[in-house]
Amino acid sequence: MAEIPASSHAHAHTAPNDIDSAVTRSQFLTLTTVGLGAMIGAVIGVPATAYVLAPVFDEVKFEPVSLGPVSKFVADPSGQFKPIAATFVEDPSLPETSAALAWVYNTGKPSTDWLAADAMFIVFSNRCMHLGCPVAAALSGFACPCHGGQYNQEGQRIAGPPIRPLDRYEWQVKDDQLMVVNRWSVDFVDGKVKYYPVKMPGQPVQLPGPSVVNDTVPDILYPNVTYEHGTVPQAK
Amino acid sequence: MPLPIPAPPDPKQMILGAEDWVEYRTGFPTLVRRFLFRNVPPTGWFHTLGSSLLTVFILQATTGMLLAMTYDPSPTGAYESIRYITDYQTLGWLVRGMHKWGASVMVILLFLHMGRTFFYGAYKYPREMTWLTGSIIFLSVMGMGLTGYLLVWDQRAYWASVVAVNINGTAPVLGPFISKFLLAGPIFGAQTISRFYALHMLLIPGLIGAMIFVHMWLVVKLGVTPWPSRPASVEEER
Repeated sequence: MAEIPASSHAHAHTAPNDIDSAVTRSQFLTLTTVGLGAMIGAVIGVPATAYVLAPVFDEVKFEPVSLGPVSKFVADPSGQFKPIAATFVEDPSLPETSAALAWVYNTGKPSTDWLAADAMFIVFSNRCMHLGCPVAAALSGFACPCHGGQYNQEGQRIAGPPIRPLDRYEWQVKDDQLMVVNRWSVDFVDGKVKYYPVKMPGQPVQLPGPSVVNDTVPDILYPNVTYEHGTVPQAK
Repeated sequence: MPLPIPAPPDPKQMILGAEDWVEYRTGFPTLVRRFLFRNVPPTGWFHTLGSSLLTVFILQATTGMLLAMTYDPSPTGAYESIRYITDYQTLGWLVRGMHKWGASVMVILLFLHMGRTFFYGAYKYPREMTWLTGSIIFLSVMGMGLTGYLLVWDQRAYWASVVAVNINGTAPVLGPFISKFLLAGPIFGAQTISRFYALHMLLIPGLIGAMIFVHMWLVVKLGVTPWPSRPASVEEER
């Protein structure tokens, strides 16, 4: 009675060709099953992963928007620090989620060049740099209701947990309208404002130490920015 | 010749027959008996925390499904649909209340259950995998708390979520990517609420359900941990 060969070795006696090196039927079926399974997994998994993770690399474009007529943003006659709240909508198609508030401080100076030392306005973002709550203006500067962050009249942190100064808007006067045209994160170097691409709250744009450290390390640790941007402006 | 009158069927036999019918075809009665009628060591109230958690999970899943029938995960509709559920829908206030308070109860029970496991030493050999799957459930429940909080879409929900997303962003290297993943983009938008909703009602509950299955499989397989006491031989020496 013919025996069913248990392995390829048994075959070797009968078959003249070199069957020892060949793949057995069950090995072949195992391989194809695993291979097909991996392929099916990839066909489902790769698009799913890309679909979910793609927004991770997104940046938005800041669209210029008017804050209102320049005459609305007057300097306080008694010279006190009283920035005026200006609400606007960053993305008109999504007013529910992109309503924003800027604090417009009229410095009483003449220049309409936003980078000049005697610029007429400083337009602060109201987003606290601790974890993103909205700050309120006070005579001493700004204060955050969530965790007690305090800023001075330049938007620099004076107390509490915020990690950097308040963001500022790039502005211009056009047809007597105060327009915000871009947004920048800021920090102070030797008492002078320095601008950076916008990072989320809680992420430093600058670290203490030599310029090699503070120019590169924050971008390695926090590699993501919110807005598409061109050349970063320099304060004059 | 009159036909014999058939005897009335015996109800007990009918039930047993029905059970056999299911048993021969599915084996479920045996499964249920093995699952429920196990030998356990002397137990106390602390051993009821796990089954309480399972009950609360079922409660959350059920009320969540009911809320999903009315809820609208969009920036324009979310708050209004919640208001409708609370103020106008029949028993909506009750279903929403159960889901809301059930969430807190689940977190509290989870901490107590974890504490029980820790203080009984129940995480030790051979139950390491039970502890690990429990840890995954714990983190997932925290994720449910985070994603569920936003869905109410009132001022507190919105700002709490802004803060939570930014906390994620402060982790070096991966943090900014995690926060953009949660926001589904660089800023808080319409996609953020639908992403939180999908995580809250599909992805995380699916993960919790699967982990509960593995967790309970291990509990049944390995048995319940007794109260940690000295071996009897040590007690006798005293």
